[in-house]
Amino acid sequence: MNTMPADLVPPPGTRIDVMLLLEGTYPYVSGGVSSWVHQIVSGFADLQFHIVFIGSRPEDYAQPRYQMPKNVVGLTHHYLFSEAVLPPPREWRGDPRTAEVVERLHDELRRKQHAAARAELLARSLKLMREDMTLAYLLHSHESWRYMTEQYQLRCTDPSFVDYFWTVRTMHTPLWTLADLAEQLPPARVYHTVSTGYAGYLGAVLSRRHHRPLVLSEHGIYTKERRIDLFSAQWISDNLPVLERTAGETGYFRELWIRMFESLGQMCYDAADPVIALYETNRQRQIADGADARTTCNIANGIHVGPFAATRTQRPEVPPPVMCLIGRVVPIKDVKTFIRAVRVASNRIPELEGWIAGPEDENPEYARECRELTRSLDLEHKVRFLGFQKLVELMPKIGLVVLSSISEALPLVLLEGYAAGVPAVTTDVGSCKQLIYGLGPEDEALGASGEVVGIADAQALGQACARLLSDPDAYRRAQSAGIERVERYYTQPLMFEKYRLVYEDALARSEARQRGVPDEVGRVATILRGEAPWPAREESA
Amino acid sequence: MAGIGFELRKLLRTESYLGLLRAYTYASIISSGPWVFSIVGLIAIGVLSIGTVYPDALIVQFQVTVTYLIMSSLIVTGGLQLAFTRWVADRLFEKRDRAVVPNFLGVTLVTTAASGTLAWLFAWIGFRDASNLYRVLLIAGFALMSNIWVATVLLSGLKQYRAILLLYAGGYGLSVTLAWALRPLGVEGLFAGFLGGQFAMWFGMVALILRNFPLREPISLECFGRRQMYPELLLAGFFYNLGVWIDKLVFWYSEQTSQHVIGWMRASVIYDLPVFLAYLCVIPGMGIFLVKFETDFVEWYDKFYDAVREGGSLQDIAHYHDRMQETVREGLYQIMKVQTITLLAVYTFVPSLFAWIGISDLYIPLFLVHAAAASFQVMLLAVLNVLYYLDRRREVVAVTVTLTVLNVALSLLSITLGAEFFGYGLALALLGALMLALWLAQRLFRKLEYLTFMLQ
Repeated sequence: MNTMPADLVPPPGTRIDVMLLLEGTYPYVSGGVSSWVHQIVSGFADLQFHIVFIGSRPEDYAQPRYQMPKNVVGLTHHYLFSEAVLPPPREWRGDPRTAEVVERLHDELRRKQHAAARAELLARSLKLMREDMTLAYLLHSHESWRYMTEQYQLRCTDPSFVDYFWTVRTMHTPLWTLADLAEQLPPARVYHTVSTGYAGYLGAVLSRRHHRPLVLSEHGIYTKERRIDLFSAQWISDNLPVLERTAGETGYFRELWIRMFESLGQMCYDAADPVIALYETNRQRQIADGADARTTCNIANGIHVGPFAATRTQRPEVPPPVMCLIGRVVPIKDVKTFIRAVRVASNRIPELEGWIAGPEDENPEYARECRELTRSLDLEHKVRFLGFQKLVELMPKIGLVVLSSISEALPLVLLEGYAAGVPAVTTDVGSCKQLIYGLGPEDEALGASGEVVGIADAQALGQACARLLSDPDAYRRAQSAGIERVERYYTQPLMFEKYRLVYEDALARSEARQRGVPDEVGRVATILRGEAPWPAREESA
Repeated sequence: MAGIGFELRKLLRTESYLGLLRAYTYASIISSGPWVFSIVGLIAIGVLSIGTVYPDALIVQFQVTVTYLIMSSLIVTGGLQLAFTRWVADRLFEKRDRAVVPNFLGVTLVTTAASGTLAWLFAWIGFRDASNLYRVLLIAGFALMSNIWVATVLLSGLKQYRAILLLYAGGYGLSVTLAWALRPLGVEGLFAGFLGGQFAMWFGMVALILRNFPLREPISLECFGRRQMYPELLLAGFFYNLGVWIDKLVFWYSEQTSQHVIGWMRASVIYDLPVFLAYLCVIPGMGIFLVKFETDFVEWYDKFYDAVREGGSLQDIAHYHDRMQETVREGLYQIMKVQTITLLAVYTFVPSLFAWIGISDLYIPLFLVHAAAASFQVMLLAVLNVLYYLDRRREVVAVTVTLTVLNVALSLLSITLGAEFFGYGLALALLGALMLALWLAQRLFRKLEYLTFMLQ
């Protein structure tokens, strides 16, 4: 049994420059986003941060994985699915007028609208939630029951009422508890969320309530990830026999959930300026999902180049014939395709080896399958499972960083490899193309720092690795393109510089707003995109 | 009494009129057996003693004593019976079968201690004119009767209906035999004989319980702990028993309707005999009750909650709700029908029957009112049963308290109004409580789904 982590309450009057809204990450979960947050908080020592951690239930989180930097002045925990926040059940009639408003609200949500109308809707629903439409109203009133059963009969295509009931209830409850949380949080000058979803919704609520800017840095695309989760989720039952399901049919509850996350994401996009993506493909996706293009921009992750650059002197003259996958042994990394690619490449280069550097404990079953595949391909002496490795020690010993993943965002190992002078071969996922071939004419002119192949194409992956390792000229060209690319575009100072700009702009707007000066939409994003500022135009409400 | 359903359903499925008749007869015997045996047993002991025990007043003393014992032990343990049954059901649901018998023994211990102390106080203060043997038998008898109810309730919770019936038949048979054998010793002899049979019956019950559930854990008072038994059930059980007996108390302690019997005990010659006889008229109604409410209702009740739990559509849930409600309506209607027919038959035959037995036909009007009252009681029992199934404990308390209050008030009123109004107090009180229970059940059914889903 672990105890519930304690809140860190800043003394009243404490200046909070940035309130970070984090859903299920820092400081309790280690991984990409968490280490990024830690990087940012540590990097801006002159700003005072307040961290709002949004989790599912207290028992899902153990001890913090990070030592909090000193400039974290506050820490608030909120659990979306904790029973403790629910009002006690009691029979209640409920006000029919409130029911009418709720009905209209849902009708409007179902219709596609423009940003101003959505903002109005959010403001109105927040006001209602504080007045008549309390959480007790949603959970326990006769009116709410009437509305729910009507909607079920009208819309639900899935037979199970109890599932519908709990889906609707589970889905809506966090909106109330988050609105309550927004009331209790101390005011901050700027709000910063690293995802849409519940944290993004909270950001939108806070930003509207205090009339302060909201910054969104999206690492993955939240709604897309939820869509993938929901497709594979076991806990949402379809209640349809397998044979009655048609291919591609998502089931009513999945659609409900996806629609809700889309709505939440939309509210967050509406409220946020800038909307930051890690790389261009994601920025396009944000625009497609409803973000105002003017507010969008990219800030890539940056790495600490120094330690990796120092290893370049240890590199042998001839690149080691080693293709190395750096990552956890899990299905999303598609380690099996990597193993098959080793088979393909070693047919061309007999002394070639394939290394897998990453822990195997997350999915032992998958790891076992990978080892079996290795045996059946007769690669026992060529493929090595290394477990967790210190990358600065590993880099000089390998010839290529290889990613066979089926999904990635902006993989830092590629950048770390570049810094150490190791080119890469990857599948065409996330920002890999951008990292290998460059984005924009200037970047592209640096040349390719490796090669990109199709997902799950072991043949192409193996051939590309063999090509690079057996052609010293091509290898050297890729090596120098990689070094040049990471030093020019993906360093930590560069990332900090861009975020310094974001925070300074947001803090300035925050003060300006208090004086009644409206924002200039997308100012910082436009600068970060490197474009001329948008021509001033009439803001249509 | 859940669980009788399975046996009955088998009988009902035979799809022949004879099978149907057998099912209803079986249900009637199962449900009415115990109290029919007790009434018949008491009367039999009285009849067999005539001519041997002198004066006749001693026979009356014996019968009144036993009646008081039955009444007071039922009222005293009424709450515990209900609350403990529910406690056992909850443990069985948790698959903690082993906890049942240790706690049954704990309840037995507490019941014996509490009822023994209470009876000792009464015997000491209230029965100074009675013999010491009588007083000792009074104390033992009270503790014994209290324990018999607790054991009966556990056995019916464990679905041993047939065994209960056989034990009651055997127990009362032995009581009658022993009382007959000991009648030369006067009221103490009759009393001791009766208690001998009862003790054998209780002993048989405990033996049966221990055979089915071997004792594996030490005796336990867990069920008396905080938040173990529902206080509403304790109240409801107490008030139900008080409510159906309190008119007798009113008549026993009103000067113009009663006379002194022994110690603090008084009896009402005009009131008591018709009451006992009237209860024999509801045997058919009890059969219907068992079939409709413990078999048909439970079937739809189970389907309803299965659909709720396991993801039925709202239409299914509403359908099972309707069927539940229909079963209640139909069941009440059938009880009403069969009781009306029974009462008409009784009305036709009762004068000649009373003449044959040798009871004054002055009793006939009161007997008929009581028979109607007893029919209302069966219906009330049925509706309360529905409320128990749907776990509306507060509503049951409201109904039973109403019954008690109405029964006191209307019985007192009937005494002041005169002899032709005797019995109407009980009948109207039962009717009033029945109406309230029906209204509550109807209100409950209107929002059953809301309550099931939205109050969690």
